[in-house]
Amino acid sequence: MLVTKLELLHFRNHQKNEVEWAPHLNVITGPNGAGKTSLIDAIHYLCMSRSFVSTSDMYVIHQGESYFMLKGNFQGEIRSEFEVSCTFSRGDGKKIFVNDGPLDRLSDLIGMVPVVVLSPDDKKLTLEGPAERRSFLDSFISQISSVYLRDLLDYRKIRKQRNTLLQNYSNAPHMLEMYLEPWDNQLVETGSRIIAKRYEVLEKFKEYLAKDYAMISGMNLTTGLKYQTFCEPSINSKDIEERYRVALKENHEKELEREQTLIGPHRDEVVFYLGDFELRRFGSQGQHRLFALSLKLAQLHYYSDELDDLPIFMLDDVFGDLDFPKTEILLKALQHHEGQTFITAANPIPFENYVHFDGERNRFFKVEDSVIVESLNR
Amino acid sequence: MQITSEYLERAIEQLSKLPGTGRKSAQRIAIHLLKQNDEYALKLANAIVDLKNKVTRCSVCGNVSDSDPCKICENQKRENGQVCVVEEFNDVYIIEKTNEFRGRYHVLGGVISPMDNIGPDQLRIKDLLTRVGGDEQITEVILALNPDAEGEATSYYINKLLLPYEVKVTRIAYGIPMGTELEFIDEATLSRAFTSRSAF
Repeated sequence: MLVTKLELLHFRNHQKNEVEWAPHLNVITGPNGAGKTSLIDAIHYLCMSRSFVSTSDMYVIHQGESYFMLKGNFQGEIRSEFEVSCTFSRGDGKKIFVNDGPLDRLSDLIGMVPVVVLSPDDKKLTLEGPAERRSFLDSFISQISSVYLRDLLDYRKIRKQRNTLLQNYSNAPHMLEMYLEPWDNQLVETGSRIIAKRYEVLEKFKEYLAKDYAMISGMNLTTGLKYQTFCEPSINSKDIEERYRVALKENHEKELEREQTLIGPHRDEVVFYLGDFELRRFGSQGQHRLFALSLKLAQLHYYSDELDDLPIFMLDDVFGDLDFPKTEILLKALQHHEGQTFITAANPIPFENYVHFDGERNRFFKVEDSVIVESLNR
Repeated sequence: MQITSEYLERAIEQLSKLPGTGRKSAQRIAIHLLKQNDEYALKLANAIVDLKNKVTRCSVCGNVSDSDPCKICENQKRENGQVCVVEEFNDVYIIEKTNEFRGRYHVLGGVISPMDNIGPDQLRIKDLLTRVGGDEQITEVILALNPDAEGEATSYYINKLLLPYEVKVTRIAYGIPMGTELEFIDEATLSRAFTSRSAF
């Protein structure tokens, strides 16, 4: 999948801008705060309906304006050419249009243009709590399975409804039991499907991760990962349903006490290993960095094999952190990636040994004060 | 800005409260109305007054109606033992348009949603049980609620309550909309359609 053209209006530090992108490699350089990341974040918005930098749509609007608008032209294998646009304003919220037709649900956009982002924030993936890994896993699988995404949204709603019941009827156990049953049934069915899918994807993902870590680290420490949920996982959701019902029953008293749902995929964890050691406990800074990088590379390679359309790959300011040999390895890996890639960097990177910036297949942009200039002779 | 007609302003203000109508559309409608003859304006005004004063709810099925019981509940030709349970009265309107269903309805007035403080007691579920247990000779209850989490929970709950009664409980099928191509159907709907496929 390719984005051929991007238009921005009142988006982050861009008042109004327009860029035509190269089908293979796009490098964007410029000083800090010039608006490099905003450009690729705009593309991310059109793929995922949200920013990968900012948590609130509000902060994305250009200072002093009341709305932003983005428009992108895409080209893929299955859908040949299409246009995605997105508007957000304080009053009307977010709206997404595909070829001028409004989408009923924002979630319908996810998966249309698969995207993988490498950014300095990735270090949270291995260093911070399980919520980070669940959110990585959820966004990973949602892009390849809309059934999974629908289950995820349903599950969230079912859990909220169920928690409300646990809070309101904790002192009327008989009523509670009767009211809970319809929700428990859905919780078990939806939750089991989520666990089965996570397990299935992670089992395949393992191999990609091991390969990419070995490639980027140059070492033969084997990586491992273990998917942890409340029971023995299975790729068949029917197997999990049985165990789910038993666990719910066993934890009923505890749930009454805590007034919230305690069993289910919302409490899952993925544990990473290097050799025999748990990465989160024993990994060095450098190992964490390389591991996070491998997670994203593995995501890229997994998508490339599984999907009909190659994903868009974005590397936001990641080269500053890497030593020269690692930079070289990463550049070589990029050379092999057939899909479209975006790289932002504040400092010069030795691209010329790997890429020829011809202004057609590969383009080199300089951004300063949100003015974008293409330069052929860098 | 100077306002030359308080009356026009008042009309615009009221019209802009309508769903999906902003101030600009309200202005356009008010000016359109101003250009119509007196008869039209009177008819419209009366229609609104009658809507509020004369439309009531059927005490049997909960549907909106000018009479109680409503015409559907009164119609003896529709005494076929089937009752179709729907969320709101507009669902009756939608199903009626198909001309397929010849039984009677039961309007719940919503679906179970603890987050919105709607439990079974806020809905007309007890009335349904009374009907099934009464002398209407109901043989089949067809659940036609929306296939979302709340609709599912409500269907499940009603089905459970109906277990002790001698009545068949069915639900409308999940599936693929007519006249569409498989290519354009979202995967979730398609996979649901596969799980609930039926013999040819």
